Amino acid sequence: MGHRYAYPAPYEELDHTADLGVVVRGDSVEAVAARLVLAFSHLLSGGAPVAEVERRTIIAAAGDSAAMVVDVLSELLYLFERERLLPSSVEIVQFEAKTGARLEVGFGRYDAALHAEGVVLKAVTLHEARVERDNGGFRGQIVFDV
Amino acid sequence: MQLERIGDFVWELPRSGGMKVPGRVYLAPSQLEQVADGKALEQVRNVAYLPGIVGASLAMPDIHWGYGFPIGGVAAVDATDGAISPGGVGYDINCGCRLIATSLAAEDIRPRLRGAVERLYETVPTGVGASRAIEPLAPKELRRVLSEGAAWAIRRGFCAGDDDLLHCEEGGRLAGAEPEAVTPRAVERGSDQLGTLGSGNHFLELQRVDEIYDAAAAAAFGLEAGALAVMIHSGSRGLGHETCDATLRSLARDYVRYGADYAALPDRQLACAPISSEVGRRYLGAMQAAANYAWANRQVMTGLAVSALSTALGVGRSELRARLVYDVCHNIAKFEEHVVDGAPRRVLVHRKGATRAFAAGDPRVPAAYRGVGQPVLIPGDMGRYSFVLAGNALAMQATFGSSCHGAGRLLSRKAALERAGKRRIDRELRERGIEVMSRGLRTLAEEMSEAYKDVRDVVDVIEGAGLSRKVARLVPLGVIKG
Repeated sequence: MGHRYAYPAPYEELDHTADLGVVVRGDSVEAVAARLVLAFSHLLSGGAPVAEVERRTIIAAAGDSAAMVVDVLSELLYLFERERLLPSSVEIVQFEAKTGARLEVGFGRYDAALHAEGVVLKAVTLHEARVERDNGGFRGQIVFDV
Repeated sequence: MQLERIGDFVWELPRSGGMKVPGRVYLAPSQLEQVADGKALEQVRNVAYLPGIVGASLAMPDIHWGYGFPIGGVAAVDATDGAISPGGVGYDINCGCRLIATSLAAEDIRPRLRGAVERLYETVPTGVGASRAIEPLAPKELRRVLSEGAAWAIRRGFCAGDDDLLHCEEGGRLAGAEPEAVTPRAVERGSDQLGTLGSGNHFLELQRVDEIYDAAAAAAFGLEAGALAVMIHSGSRGLGHETCDATLRSLARDYVRYGADYAALPDRQLACAPISSEVGRRYLGAMQAAANYAWANRQVMTGLAVSALSTALGVGRSELRARLVYDVCHNIAKFEEHVVDGAPRRVLVHRKGATRAFAAGDPRVPAAYRGVGQPVLIPGDMGRYSFVLAGNALAMQATFGSSCHGAGRLLSRKAALERAGKRRIDRELRERGIEVMSRGLRTLAEEMSEAYKDVRDVVDVIEGAGLSRKVARLVPLGVIKG
């Protein structure tokens, strides 16, 4: 905790027929959560730069790691849709199953021209949502409805 | 997973484990390889665990891996004792398709085709941030949309002809809608998106009626060979997504409290609640309201498209003679009466990427079509063709009056992008006489023809299985996408 992860962060796209999934890896659950947020931003931006203009606190209720990530991403999708905010950096303040998640997220503004290749994400799904140990580190996976 | 062939185009997944009914999949033998990885079949199997499910867990030949339910999935549950599954409807509640016929000859508009597509693209917002096709609605007015459905839009002048509502599944409105059950956040998301297309596989397409297979049905539907038509594929936008999302995330945490049958569900995206429960009733009311929003959405786009075409082509509405052929939903759950084990039974039919396909004589089919059966609109892809079918009696017995909904994806979006590489799909289409406009090149690559099954193969299985029959084939002339 306390480390600020910056956009862009590495991720892989899943081979999902109907929708769009991403996989990230990290040495901690917090790293995975942060990279999933930044992967989400990369999809929305089409990979174009995102210049940070503000920071906000995002909170998720207690639950398992995957459920908390889904909650965070759903909130971020709402902010994108209503305020055209794109995550540019993430600091995990808290990420505990019993007490919930608290993230300090930096945001940039969506630009229709710059981010024209961005994907329209309809929803963050629970389908195949995972945050789990993998080969000495951690792996996270989220599928988005497109 | 072992499928047993029980008909020329029907395969059964025998009951095992916690399955309450068998799975039944409609496929040609040549299509079996498309489900060989087992993921979609696993979902057919999982759906068979739903509390109250009757008959079989069904999948149409456009089957592919979804989440929870397979795309192309149909499941009916007892209306009293069964479970309602938001995943069995999907995030895009009442995503559906409508077809508008005109009196113009398609080839006559060729000189103005590019201008028409540009005008449509300017008029109907698409893609990221698509909004403000009409003035944003205050919450009170939006709740009227949720209650009234397509009729709300018609009263404000958004229409093709005078009888649009007669040619819309459910008359463009589900009466059980509860606007108050839709969350404030969903209302907020929907407030400025009415009349917008969305993105992904949503489209507005100018088409030519290319071939007639069933002259009597085509005549009843008002489809003439060579005529210009407009097909719109879209749904409930952010309001529907939020409605599904809010219910699913809440249900996913505690659906197991409804008992052992619920706790035994193999996939939490199948999280569901008893129809009779407070949560179930609330979701049902909200889902029906979101469905009404989708109908209003497609109705507003209809009005916008007809006006845009009229202007771009320099023809008045009386010369254009636009009329709604039909509007179908393909992500929905509805109470219907069907014969189950030889007796009439009220069931809740979930159609997740599947289309209602009621037969001739059914009172729920519009009077003008009752002699031939309900129109079933099957969009293909933007490079090949789409089909109009008519519902057959066998579907009423075998699939709760259901048919396929489209081509079904063959490639993942990732695989489609890799195959497209640096190709300009828009230029390839233009070289074939198809004008396309979209917000980004990525969408076109993801949605290229190669990413989809050939819808003709899907429709041939449906016809071969006797569920619906081909009436007409339509080919694309111009497309707008998000």
